[in-house]
Amino acid sequence: MNIRQCANRILSALLLVLMCTTAPAGPRELPGDSIYQLDIPLVDQNGHAFDLAQRRGKPQLVSMFYTSCQYVCPLLVDTLRKTQKALPAAQRKKLDVLLISFDPGRDNPRRLKEVFAERKLDASHWTLSRTETPNVRKLAAVLDIEYKLLPGGDFNHSTSLILLDANGRIVARTSKIGETDPQFVAAISRTLSAD
Amino acid sequence: MIRCLVLPAFLLVAGMANAADYVNVPGGQFASVLPADATRADVVVAPFMLRREPVTNAEFLAFVLEQPQWRRDRIARVFAEPSYLMHWQSADALGATVLPDQPVTQVSWFAAQAFCESERARLPAWNEWEFAAASDATRHDARSDPLWREQILSWYSQPSGKPLAAIGGAANFYGVRDLHGLVWEWVDDFNALLVASDSRDQNDPDRLKFCGAGALNLRDRENYAVLMRVAMLSSLKAADTTNSTGFRCARPAAPVPPVATQVRGDRQ
Amino acid sequence: MIRSMSAMSALLALASLPCFAGAAAAGAGASPAGSYVHGDFGPPRGEPIHAMLTTPPMVPPATQRNYPAKVIVELEVIEKELPISEGVTYTFWTFGGTVPGKFIRVRQGDTVEFHLKNNPNSKMPHNIDLHGVTGPGGGAASSFTAPGHESQFTFKALNQGIYVYHCATAPVGMHVGNGMYGLILIEPPDGLAPVDHEYYVMQGDFYTTGKYREKGLQPFDMEKAIEEKPTYVLFNGAEGSLTGDKALTAKTNETVRIFIGNGGPNLVSSFHVIGEIFDRVQPEGGTKVQENVQTTLIPAGGAAIVEFHTEVPGSYVMVDHSIFRAFNKGALAILKVDGPEDKAIYSGKEVDSVYLGDRAGSNLAAVTEATKSASAGKLTKEEQIKAGQQLFTGTCSVCHQANGAGLPGVFPPLAKSSVLAAEPKRSIDIVLHGLSGKITVNGQEYNSVMPPMTQLNDDEVANILTFVLNSWDNPGGRIEADEVAKTRAQPAPKAAAGH
Repeated sequence: MNIRQCANRILSALLLVLMCTTAPAGPRELPGDSIYQLDIPLVDQNGHAFDLAQRRGKPQLVSMFYTSCQYVCPLLVDTLRKTQKALPAAQRKKLDVLLISFDPGRDNPRRLKEVFAERKLDASHWTLSRTETPNVRKLAAVLDIEYKLLPGGDFNHSTSLILLDANGRIVARTSKIGETDPQFVAAISRTLSAD
Repeated sequence: MIRCLVLPAFLLVAGMANAADYVNVPGGQFASVLPADATRADVVVAPFMLRREPVTNAEFLAFVLEQPQWRRDRIARVFAEPSYLMHWQSADALGATVLPDQPVTQVSWFAAQAFCESERARLPAWNEWEFAAASDATRHDARSDPLWREQILSWYSQPSGKPLAAIGGAANFYGVRDLHGLVWEWVDDFNALLVASDSRDQNDPDRLKFCGAGALNLRDRENYAVLMRVAMLSSLKAADTTNSTGFRCARPAAPVPPVATQVRGDRQ
Repeated sequence: MIRSMSAMSALLALASLPCFAGAAAAGAGASPAGSYVHGDFGPPRGEPIHAMLTTPPMVPPATQRNYPAKVIVELEVIEKELPISEGVTYTFWTFGGTVPGKFIRVRQGDTVEFHLKNNPNSKMPHNIDLHGVTGPGGGAASSFTAPGHESQFTFKALNQGIYVYHCATAPVGMHVGNGMYGLILIEPPDGLAPVDHEYYVMQGDFYTTGKYREKGLQPFDMEKAIEEKPTYVLFNGAEGSLTGDKALTAKTNETVRIFIGNGGPNLVSSFHVIGEIFDRVQPEGGTKVQENVQTTLIPAGGAAIVEFHTEVPGSYVMVDHSIFRAFNKGALAILKVDGPEDKAIYSGKEVDSVYLGDRAGSNLAAVTEATKSASAGKLTKEEQIKAGQQLFTGTCSVCHQANGAGLPGVFPPLAKSSVLAAEPKRSIDIVLHGLSGKITVNGQEYNSVMPPMTQLNDDEVANILTFVLNSWDNPGGRIEADEVAKTRAQPAPKAAAGH
């Protein structure tokens, strides 16, 4: 073997090592009961496209809504805010909120951006998003949220605040809106400190 | 040279054999058991295509072989509970007691959706299913016929422990078979059927599921057989399976261009 | 200001729940400071107890506890075909495999962890509403269970009493009409006074498309249920469930307590025990006691506790005293009391045959045999005679006597009857269409009215008449069910002008 071949070998070996270390750090298998098993594309209020699974890595609150919803959805946003405030300040920073629309027909990124501004949401933690209709049904199924499109274009829907752990498992949920659910807040706190 | 011809020919035949049969359902105005809103107006069902038969064990087996992430030993728990396909002998074989022509059961809503997508289809909406199922052999709406109701109720009153019959029952007005008397069938919006009519009514989302729903008005009195099907679907979660729940698929009304035969390796 | 607003919204939130007390009690006795939730004796103590559930008519033993415990109840819904009457079956939907469902016994203040399972072979989803639960739907909302699945919810038993539980899945009337009900006893803190026997009896009305005792598997009839026209009114889900060898038993000089419920779905019961008086009744299962009661009302979806002391031996017939239900729809059960007679209290002979009729002896075993053979196409004359004899007692014997002698001048004899000798098949017509006007039998003239025996079906008429023709020196021969059917189809002939 000559020098060139030896160098090649060393180079290949180095490349291999490099590839192994730069590959996603020995990713723990995605748990079978993680909602991130559902691979759907979303678009946020800034028009930025992302996959649901890209949210993995931090605990977060998830729910579903739609912008034309007059009563419950504003209440939902308020409840989410109150829930955030109920946490100790240090933990508040670690919690993100993801809302997905039932109504992709009307809730395009521009509309989402309008509502985002209207409600003065905090861009460092909140995301309003939409996905295509077949994916809405799948997402609702995986989150156990019920909804029904009415003839006028409105939706009837159940309302749940859902806590995901960093791996996308549902660890707590509440359907109390209007005021915070102390048990739910406690669950969020526990999950955030476990990280 | 011969081999070059035989392989595509075989795949063409295999592709044709796997092509399920869909029929046109014209749609129209329809008095659904679940009124669209408080005014109890009729719903309008757009024309659509419906699979003539529920999906069989053989068809579903071919599907999990082509898409192994839906095998019972590989499926993510979020998409199906442990009883998924538990009656099959193994993850990739039916076994002697599970017949290829029986409708597949012990499948979750997610698995059913995925199968339908593999056929470039989707689960039917409740209104579509209900529309097609309102017919008998000769009439497009047989629901006021007590005999039609009796047949359905007599199936409800039989516990589901007996082996399932094979597909191939009598065709209804549209040529669709086995909508009644064989298996419960998933629909796309199975969990939207009894959502409370007023979203502000957060205190009692279950009102319609229970005692209140039993107070039927005159129109519903004749349709309580259909209402019981709604109750059944409402009791399920998307990852659930039961030994009497199967499914069939639906497609939009426009005819779909013929399938280009796919060679193994195209599919992910 | 802020404090009062949050208190206000908390109050509003709590008030919007169906039951304030339930919400408060849900947190193991922790109630808003200063308020006491009645029946809440604090958090459960000791190891969790797995409740012993019993099959009717048995009742679990007293809890004999003086502290609140956590009790785990596991109940499975099973859909199964069971006999409802002789030769008649029905697909019942059951709690635990029986109608009524298993009896549950806990103590006031217990925390009950309820597991409802739905057998994988069920066709329908089911749930449970326990009337003893304080909380939304009585548990119905939390227990809606698909086939092959299980639900769980927990409640605190705040109120003592005897309560109905039933399935509340739409359409509720149908689920209840198919037998989905039972009783849960929530004992008072000091328990119930000891008695010698406790029994569990529950009345229900049933609606089949076929007529009363029409043979075969009978489907549920929604129209009849809505019209409130039951085919059967039964104790414990079947005719004969508590008669003959399945009768309840006691000895003389004992105390008997019956937890008597009424699942409905429609009828109210007028519960009475023929020959007994209830010493104590807790009407509607409530806490107040009434004494010396003959007949007590049990609402649909309600229950009562009755107690009495036995003095004299005999068969005590329990009925719904809306009496056509007892004798023409099956609402009849028996408590058999054995022991020494006490002539000072009661000296008459038992009028078994009048009241009990075909229920007096062991359960119509010969009739069951005959029905089985008939459906296999192998019915023999001997089987007909045996079955006919059992059916004769109490139907025909009431007038014509058990020995066929009749009542001189009033009811013609069947023994060695000249009418039967002349034209045996005429008996079919007489039984089906009745007979009024003059008729001469064995040289004597009778002028009475025999009503048509419309409650008998073709098999029963054939068997009874075969028995009659082969008894007491009558000409013999046999009558087949299809002959009866043919005669039934023809109109009644005019009264014969004597023979």
